[in-house]
Amino acid sequence: MSGHHQHIEGEYIPETYVPHAESHGTKGLWFIFWVLLGITVVDFIFYFAMEPGLVRNIIFVFFGIVKAYFIIGTFMHMKFEARFLRLMIVIPAVIFLSYLVLLLLIEGNYVSIVKYLR
Amino acid sequence: MSETTIATSGSIWTGGRSPFNVSYGKLMMWIFLLSDAFTFSSLLVAYGAIRFSFGGSDTPWPDPANVFNHFPGFHGMHLPLLFVSLMTFILIFSSVTMVLAVEAGHRKSNAEVSKYMILTILGGAAFLGCQAWEWTQFINEGGRLSHNMFGLTPEALAKAKELGFGDHVHWTAAERIPAPVPFAALFFIVTGFHGFHVLSGVVINIIIWINVIGGTYVRRGHYEMVEKVGLYWHFVDLVWVFVFTFYYLI
Repeated sequence: MSGHHQHIEGEYIPETYVPHAESHGTKGLWFIFWVLLGITVVDFIFYFAMEPGLVRNIIFVFFGIVKAYFIIGTFMHMKFEARFLRLMIVIPAVIFLSYLVLLLLIEGNYVSIVKYLR
Repeated sequence: MSETTIATSGSIWTGGRSPFNVSYGKLMMWIFLLSDAFTFSSLLVAYGAIRFSFGGSDTPWPDPANVFNHFPGFHGMHLPLLFVSLMTFILIFSSVTMVLAVEAGHRKSNAEVSKYMILTILGGAAFLGCQAWEWTQFINEGGRLSHNMFGLTPEALAKAKELGFGDHVHWTAAERIPAPVPFAALFFIVTGFHGFHVLSGVVINIIIWINVIGGTYVRRGHYEMVEKVGLYWHFVDLVWVFVFTFYYLI
């Protein structure tokens, strides 16, 4: 009970509340490090082994999302956070980012058609 | 543990406890990172849209493999992707040392927190050094905010397709033609904005490290500040994953 002195038992003060943090050990952290490194090496191999094109790009974006999952989940501790905190951060990000990406790619393509292929 | 003895009723939304079970500062850090994620996404999405808008142009978007193909000490060799992969490795490594500092903080081991924070700061500084080298290379070859000469003539492009990893390559002035300006402008803006985040991350890490060796968090009884700066540091790594993907791989 090493002195969380801002927090008196039974009394919740939003400004100074700090939840107790547990260590989950270092094994999982090193494992994620090797996973991230491995994916980067696979990226490097695919870059030279595959022809440039849509399929390769989709693979790279997919790997990027996998890396993001491990960084946010384990390194940023998101896996261990309360459910509503996870949802509050992840849902707006997923919804608005997919919306933004989709819209602007369509727009960019349209600009290209108007500018060059008329 | 005394910290978790507040809930009395079934719902977590009835007050008297934190529904997110998180401190005020950490919640605000998460919300800041969400907004920062939108900022970076806007830059990357703008990059994608502008690149798409040159799809039918007769001055095509330069192939990153013909631009970022240098490695310190291997002058004149065609080594695409190698240097940025090294930068990625440095940043991933500094991320794991950061999370080890956070974990040591959970065990309240002041000496270990200090050790891992030093390693994180060194990793960040090494990354910034790499980026400075990359920018110097880019500027020396004619990359500017307002114009760039990374386009290649059709003959040179055909030659570039034949290049193998490690082959000797040197594009003469006659082989270089102007390419879409946003390629260079966005390179400076996107990697510059990310590099500025790394720089501020290093500065914040140094401040927190000074607190660690001064015993601030021993007196405070917890290492939440290390966790908060850790969140920021990992976010910088997260952004680099996508800069790497969209600027160098695709």
